[in-house]
Amino acid sequence: MAKARPGGAGGADGLGRTVITVGRFDEPSQSTPVVEGYRQTALRTPAEPLIKRPFTLSELTGPDRPERRLALLGTDLAGHGAQRALGQLIDVRLRVLDEDGAPLPGALVEMWQANAAGRYIHPNDDDHAPVDPHFYGAARMTTDATGCLSIRTIKPGAYPVPGSGRWWRPPHIHFSLWGRVWMSRLVTQMFFPGEPLNGQDRILHAVPDADARERLICRPRSPVDGPEDTLVFDHDIVVRGRRATPAA
Amino acid sequence: MSAQPVMPSRLPAAEMTVGPFFPPRYSDAGANDLTRLEGEGARGEPIDIEGRVVQLDGAPTHNLIVEIWQADAAGIYAHPNDPRHLEADPNFFGWGRAATDADGRYAFRTIRPGQTRERDGTVRAPHINVLVLFSGLMRQLHTVVYFPDDGGAKDFDPLYRAVPGPRRAGVVAVAEAPGRYRFDIRLRGEGETPFFSLDDGGVR
Ligand SMILES: [Fe+2]
Repeated sequence: MAKARPGGAGGADGLGRTVITVGRFDEPSQSTPVVEGYRQTALRTPAEPLIKRPFTLSELTGPDRPERRLALLGTDLAGHGAQRALGQLIDVRLRVLDEDGAPLPGALVEMWQANAAGRYIHPNDDDHAPVDPHFYGAARMTTDATGCLSIRTIKPGAYPVPGSGRWWRPPHIHFSLWGRVWMSRLVTQMFFPGEPLNGQDRILHAVPDADARERLICRPRSPVDGPEDTLVFDHDIVVRGRRATPAA
Repeated sequence: MSAQPVMPSRLPAAEMTVGPFFPPRYSDAGANDLTRLEGEGARGEPIDIEGRVVQLDGAPTHNLIVEIWQADAAGIYAHPNDPRHLEADPNFFGWGRAATDADGRYAFRTIRPGQTRERDGTVRAPHINVLVLFSGLMRQLHTVVYFPDDGGAKDFDPLYRAVPGPRRAGVVAVAEAPGRYRFDIRLRGEGETPFFSLDDGGVR
C-alpha cells in the first residue's frame, strides 16, 4: 500500500499514476513565527491560530517552469578583471532535493546577498557600509538534470540589523525556491561554518531543532578541490513534495 | 505491495524571512499580469484585483511580496496532479508576483478562475490562492480570495467552510466595478485576514 505520512495528502489518481504529495509539516525543524528581539515579527505574524484546511488540487499543483514569468539572471556575481567584485571568491554548489531525497531538475532558484562589506543594493539598506560598484548580489537560475547549480560569488559580510540593539546578522545568503507544487515554495537562508555570529543569530536560532539549524550551514570542500582563487561550498536544500505511490 | 521510493525521506529546510532586502529587480515588471504569457492572451474574462496590506499598527507594508496561483477559466490547473491538466489553457500560466508600494498597495490582472474539480469529484468555488512573504514573517502566509458574485458556490467550498463564520468576509473580495475587485490584507490585529495552516488538515 502507499506509504503516506500521517497527515500527508494526495494519493491515487484512479489510473494508478504517481502523483505528488507533501509530507507532514515538522514543527521543530521550522522557524518559530514570533522571535524575541526581532521586533517586526510581533507586528506582522497573525495572532489568530492558522485555520486547518484539507489540501486540495490548489495546494498540490503549482506552476510549471516559473522562469517563463520571471527572467533568468546570470550565475556569476563576482565578475572578472577590472569588473571583479571585492571580497573572497566562493563557489556555492547547491543541490535541490525533494522529501524523498530525490534531486529536483529544473527547479527555479533565486538568491540574494550582501556584498563583502555587509551592504545590500537596496533602497532599504542605508547602512554606512560601502556599495561595491561591481557587485549587485542577486541571481535567478534553474537546477540542471541532477538538481544542482553553481553560483560564483563573493562571501557576504556580516551586518548590524538597524535599531535592533547590536544584533548582527552572520554572513548568509538568501534563497527562494520553487518545487513541484504550491506547498513546495520555500524561502530560506544559508549560513557559513565556523562563524562566531552564528551562535547569537536570532533568525538561525528561531529554529528549535539543532540538526535542522545544522542543515542550514553549508559545508566547505578542501581548497584542493576548487579553482586556485576560489573556496567551494556544498549545500543541499530540501523543498516540500514527494512522489506518492497510489494504492493498488 | 507497490514499489516504494528507495531513497530515505528528508525534512524540508527551515523556512526563513525574506528580510528587508528582497531585490526590487525580482518583482519583475509584468509579473503581476497573468492574462498573457509569451504570445496569445489567455481564455476567459480578464479581471483586476487590487488591495492594500497593513500590519498590526495599521501601517502600510512596503516591499511585501504577494504571489498568487490559480486555475484557468475552465477551473483547470496546468499540473499533472489535476486529472484534467491536458485540457488546460496553454496561454494561461496561473502564477504571478507583485510587491507592495510605499502605501502597501499591490495589484494583479488575471482571468476569472473557473470551478476546480478534485479527483473525488468535489467541486471548489472559483478562488485564487495567495502566498505572502515579508520581512518579519518567519513563515509564508497562505490565504484565499473568493468572489462575492459566485452564485453561492463558496458555501460548498471546503476551505471556505473551514473559516469560522464571523471571519469569512475576510477571504471574500469586494466588487468595486464590473471585473474589478478589492482584496485588502491585515496581517495582524483587529480584522485580521484568515490565514491557513501549512499542514494538511486531513481528509474532507
Ligand atoms: Fe540578509
